[in-house]
Amino acid sequence: MIDLKNLTIEKAHESFKNGEFTVAELVNAYLEVIKEKNGEINAYLEIYDDVLEQAKRAEEMFKNGTATLMTGIPIAIKDNILFEGHIASASSKILKNYTATYDATVVKKLKNTGAVIIGRTNMDEFAMGVSTENSAYGVTKNPYDTKRVPGGSSGGSCACVAMNGALVALGSDTAGSCRQPASFCGVVGLKPTYGSVSRHGLIAMGSSLDVIGAIGKNISDVQIVFDFIKGQDEMDSTSISSEFYKKKIVTKPVIGIPRDFIKEGMDDRILVNFEETIEKLKSAGYLIKDIKLPYVKYSVPAYYIITPAEISANLARFDGIRYGLSEKADKLFDVYTKSRGKGFGREVRRRILLGTYVLSHGYHDAYYNKANAVRRLIIDDYNKAFEQVDLILTPTTTGPAFKIGEKVNDLVKMYLEDIFTSPANMAGFPAISIPSGFVEEDGEKLPLGIHFTAPFLCEDILFTIGKDFEKLI
Amino acid sequence: MQLEEIKKLADLARIDMSEEEMKEIAKDFDSILAYVGQVQEVSSRTVLEEESKKSEDYFLHNVMREDIVTNKKGEYTEKILANAPDTQDGFLKVKQIL
Repeated sequence: MIDLKNLTIEKAHESFKNGEFTVAELVNAYLEVIKEKNGEINAYLEIYDDVLEQAKRAEEMFKNGTATLMTGIPIAIKDNILFEGHIASASSKILKNYTATYDATVVKKLKNTGAVIIGRTNMDEFAMGVSTENSAYGVTKNPYDTKRVPGGSSGGSCACVAMNGALVALGSDTAGSCRQPASFCGVVGLKPTYGSVSRHGLIAMGSSLDVIGAIGKNISDVQIVFDFIKGQDEMDSTSISSEFYKKKIVTKPVIGIPRDFIKEGMDDRILVNFEETIEKLKSAGYLIKDIKLPYVKYSVPAYYIITPAEISANLARFDGIRYGLSEKADKLFDVYTKSRGKGFGREVRRRILLGTYVLSHGYHDAYYNKANAVRRLIIDDYNKAFEQVDLILTPTTTGPAFKIGEKVNDLVKMYLEDIFTSPANMAGFPAISIPSGFVEEDGEKLPLGIHFTAPFLCEDILFTIGKDFEKLI
Repeated sequence: MQLEEIKKLADLARIDMSEEEMKEIAKDFDSILAYVGQVQEVSSRTVLEEESKKSEDYFLHNVMREDIVTNKKGEYTEKILANAPDTQDGFLKVKQIL
């Protein structure tokens, strides 16, 4: 029996090399877990039918000496990342039968190194949501308590790592979609610097915010995956090189805490856990400073203007003509409206309308332009803070995983799930959620997370403090 | 928000919706707009002053490339058409427009 719970990429790599187990044996161990648990958890929407062929190719690479750290590593991908010849549905009915015609750059990289792409994971439709309750293919359940949500939108990717259904996973993050579910599922979720990972082949939601991120059980695994997928790509003109920003060099990071921002709507147990975190970091010799981010409270309101605006534009391509669901009608106009009306789920329809509204004549200045101006002020807040400190620390969420159905009727409450995570997307900074302990509720242990934000391209600082913090808890 | 306004938006966005859903969205919009409307508290003056202080923006700059075809002729045609709802002789088939 392979100890999947304590397996890391490095351990798996060593085991492949010294013959402790083969890639196929490891893949089969994961397939067994998936067979046993996925029926209830619903982390995966599909297990690819060629996983054992992929495993064979990885084994060849070990034999002929071309293997890297990622060769043979079982990885899950979010259902909005294209893998040629396989369905990519973004958990939407409109793409139910859509077969990817090319590989996303991240998938190409994984394939080239012989990583084993196990399957595609459930998500909120087109990544719009914080609970996977917006998936057209049923909610994913939290492996720690199946009455609760795993978070979202990369809820399937986080739940799949938490249930030991893959060693690592890819997600996408537009306002917290890798980090909030990582917090709820007790795993590590990274949102890299905007542009540091190619989005060629990622189904777009909010193009000025979207980034592909990595999810794993520990910092080291997430770092390995990130190092592997990052890099400028000529197929994505918004991707950047590692020299794009002048990088801050830091040896022992100073940590800033925006106390004014961590008050409203907080679960008391999160605050207790957060203070304990601060004490642990102090005892490890980290300097902690209070900072102010006066405009950051406008991040979620501005986000829910900018993102719907970008959604209404990005989702205009789904028209029932070239691919995806197509409803029959007598007139072309009705083909559009019926295909989109039937193919998109409720939250997607609502956000497209909201985006159409904030961009329409007469409201553009009051909402869209204003939100963009506020976005600038948030970026300025962070840049000023990063003159004094090297990292900004908050909890990842205001509470532990909530119950399925608990927030579906309160949109604003749902939107506030992203309060601590969305600023990093609005400003483009890298950020990470790291497990910070548990609370007990209804006899179940529920994971909590803390959240660090770093200056542009300083993922290395996130990994350094993350590894230190892992030793402290 | 008036139902008429939602109807117009649904029409602009090319989404067929039941009247019942439009009524619900009209209600949702009231609470969403009240919430996102917070951004209007930030005075325009502050924003303009802050913005004018900014040097040429790191946030936005154009990325250009040569306008050339990078794939082989017909390289993706078959795969793309395989996803299309209706095709004829290597073309997408649509309803008559004119």
